[in-house]
Amino acid sequence: MRWWVAVEWIEDLIRKGLQQVDEVEIYFVEGRSVSADLKQRRVSLCSSAVDAGLCIRTIDKGKIGSSSTNDPKKWQACLDAAIAGGHLATAQVWNGLPDPVKLPGTDFSYDPALDVEPETARALLQEMLTGADAHPATITSGGAEVSAGTVTLANSHGVSCTYRQSDVSLSLEAISGQSTGSEFDQAYSGNLVNPEKVGEQATFFATHSVGGKDIPTGDYDIILSPIAYSDLLSAIFIPALSGRNVQQGRSKLAGKIGEQIATDDFSLYDDPHLPGANGSTWFDAEGTPTRRLDFIKNGVLMGFAYDLKTAYRSGQASTGSALRGGFSGLPAIGPHNIVVDGKRENIMDEPAIYVRSVVGAHTANPMSGDFSVELSNPFFVKDGELAEPVKSAMLTGNFFDLHREIAGLGTVSRAVGSYILPPVRINKQRIIGK
Amino acid sequence: MSETSGIRYYDVRQVSGQSTHIDIDNDVVESAGTSFFDKAVIRVLGPKGWGILQIDNYTPCSGKKFEDLLFSAQKLAQITQDPVTIGDAPCAVLPVPRVKEDCRDVSLEEKSALLLEIEKEAARPHVTNRRANYIERLETVCFRNSSGTEYSYEMCRSGFSVMAVAAREGNVQMGYERDHSILGFNLRHRGEYGRKAADLAVALLDARPAKGGKMQAVLDPELAGVLAHEAVGHASEGDLIEEGNSVLKGKTGEKIGDEHLTIVDDPALHEFGFDPVDAEGVAVKRTEIISKGRVNAFLLNRQTLAAVGNGIAGHARAMPGEPPLVRMSNTFIEAGDATGDEIFAECKNGIYLVGSRGGQVDPGRGVFQFNAEYGYLIENGERTRMVRDVSLSGEILVTLHGITLCGKNRVMHPGYCGKGGQSVPVSDGAPLVLLRDAVVGGSGVD
Repeated sequence: MRWWVAVEWIEDLIRKGLQQVDEVEIYFVEGRSVSADLKQRRVSLCSSAVDAGLCIRTIDKGKIGSSSTNDPKKWQACLDAAIAGGHLATAQVWNGLPDPVKLPGTDFSYDPALDVEPETARALLQEMLTGADAHPATITSGGAEVSAGTVTLANSHGVSCTYRQSDVSLSLEAISGQSTGSEFDQAYSGNLVNPEKVGEQATFFATHSVGGKDIPTGDYDIILSPIAYSDLLSAIFIPALSGRNVQQGRSKLAGKIGEQIATDDFSLYDDPHLPGANGSTWFDAEGTPTRRLDFIKNGVLMGFAYDLKTAYRSGQASTGSALRGGFSGLPAIGPHNIVVDGKRENIMDEPAIYVRSVVGAHTANPMSGDFSVELSNPFFVKDGELAEPVKSAMLTGNFFDLHREIAGLGTVSRAVGSYILPPVRINKQRIIGK
Repeated sequence: MSETSGIRYYDVRQVSGQSTHIDIDNDVVESAGTSFFDKAVIRVLGPKGWGILQIDNYTPCSGKKFEDLLFSAQKLAQITQDPVTIGDAPCAVLPVPRVKEDCRDVSLEEKSALLLEIEKEAARPHVTNRRANYIERLETVCFRNSSGTEYSYEMCRSGFSVMAVAAREGNVQMGYERDHSILGFNLRHRGEYGRKAADLAVALLDARPAKGGKMQAVLDPELAGVLAHEAVGHASEGDLIEEGNSVLKGKTGEKIGDEHLTIVDDPALHEFGFDPVDAEGVAVKRTEIISKGRVNAFLLNRQTLAAVGNGIAGHARAMPGEPPLVRMSNTFIEAGDATGDEIFAECKNGIYLVGSRGGQVDPGRGVFQFNAEYGYLIENGERTRMVRDVSLSGEILVTLHGITLCGKNRVMHPGYCGKGGQSVPVSDGAPLVLLRDAVVGGSGVD
């Protein structure tokens, strides 16, 4: 991250905006990306994008307006639209955008050596294919994308900072008969992804899930892989930790601070300063400095996440938890890097059903936490290993209640996007057989 | 054109426009406003595969300037190895249906006031939160390709959703209603949507979790539409067939469902998934995917028309600035001749499932999951106790044999479908259907 003098048009924009409103904030991204797709084992397309995006927020007497455009040259129209939208908004308690704060001058997620070129994507695909050769499944599709860009945040209080970021994303899908397997990886540098392992894991699961057996309906001890666990966590648990959802009566965890909501050894927190993690950043999408935020400590609910708007309305301080899903979205509350930790142990030593991933996590009930999902690549665990595959079954339960029944956290965590999670063992969960 | 002589085909698709949104949360207008976009995609088919340029704020050009762009795209295509060919398909552009009331003629203030009325209708005891959203998207699409096809059209999609959350003694439930349209402004006189969302949220406080297992099920049109989308639609997409990632590959002519079952995708239908022409300039056409229980035709674009055959091109769709993919549009189960009473009587004992929070499919494995918002037990052909949080899972090649009765009235429901990082407007629909041996997931116990 660097502290730069804002480019001229940004200064113009802020000056122009201040003639009509109390405060102005701009969020500006520029970037370049190249991606290549596999159709079976051959590269079938390569695409390249150069894009930019500008989002303006204006605040006037507690009324927030916003607008975005992908043409920064048209910032005047965008500013007018933001101010017009602000007239309609309901005035709310507002105590101002952040002031500048001196933060460490390093980019968290940028690799200057990453070549955003077709050749980089091609080489990554080739390495995935090499890894995939470890097992006999057939590749159906895959992709590699590399990108680099800058993010600039500036406001009328003098915040003006730009940081660089880069990204490498990989995915591969394989099939063996009617058994599918897939794997993915993502990091800011080519040195932090493992394309061979992506290939190997995709064909491993496709190959070894062949010949699965049906299981009868009943209660089983299960192990959710980090992928399966993160799918359910992001669909159900994380939204309930948003201060906005708490404030608005949309969180089952509202009013439970200080209560035991998970087993003793379970902790869940947001660590925005984790080196190498995908969501690391010194400041959030509104310019508030980020910090570690404990949600659950030794099973006890510690607190919720806030952006400026929700914090001001709740009489809290922002926890630096504003995120943007692209330039066109307004800042919303979300985690930077979710980490699940606690006492680690060998959770594979007793029999269980291992769940690699789930189908349909997004259809869960985010209010009540009730879910029922189809299992993908489930296996019986025997003698510490994945043994016979299970053909198909549904897992059903309540995802909040399930945290009071966690029997153990596995020894090795992995990153799934910006979630860093171990496999989790939960005993006696209901599985619906076919 | 010496530098670009290896180019077998190109096209340019530019989408520009503006989107307007209003977000109301417990009577507070959180945000409202308009944003702008202008994105283009230039695709070039080189000696092997595609080179694709995604360009912001493209100014249509010709001569040297345009050739430079083609050359840049062609350079990208140099790393491709797959020998892509594209089939010939007819080009035609349907008229965009006339709107009853143009969204542009209604001020943001009035839209906001009307949305607030809908949201306020959801107020009642036990409702702790009400939220309403309005979204409107006006797009101008311009297309031309190396074969001389050229068209442009303008279209507006708009709609709203309203959610109510009810809570009592730690039990939190929600009701959600929505409507999206291509036929013009749709916020007037819609208070019933707010009331329905609130009624459902409150009623769910007394519903019990469903008990899982295999049982007879009656699906309402919305949920049966999601079944058509998840169980059949995705698996019939030509790109998945070509990659070998669909259980329907090689199944043309095979009977995979009951003879009463016909499943269609029709982008020409004036529903939320309507496109006047597809994203490659191909005429859109009704495609009967399953015809009387047999696999009949796949959804194709020009590439998969050449590679897969047996299907109909015109199903290429794209988000602004993104390359086209083979996608569904308006997907539905055709109406049959059963009455509702006949369907419930035939079910006798089982579960009636209503509404949907979406679904997901693994087309290669042929397994899908989708979720109902709520339901009722069916005992002796009668609807009895209300249940909540019911999912269904199934196997594509097995489940469709279980749809043995279809009602007379097909109803379509608008929504969005995600694939390859792109979200496009779609609609799903069906009549009331009977599904035998449904695998129901629910956490309830006796």
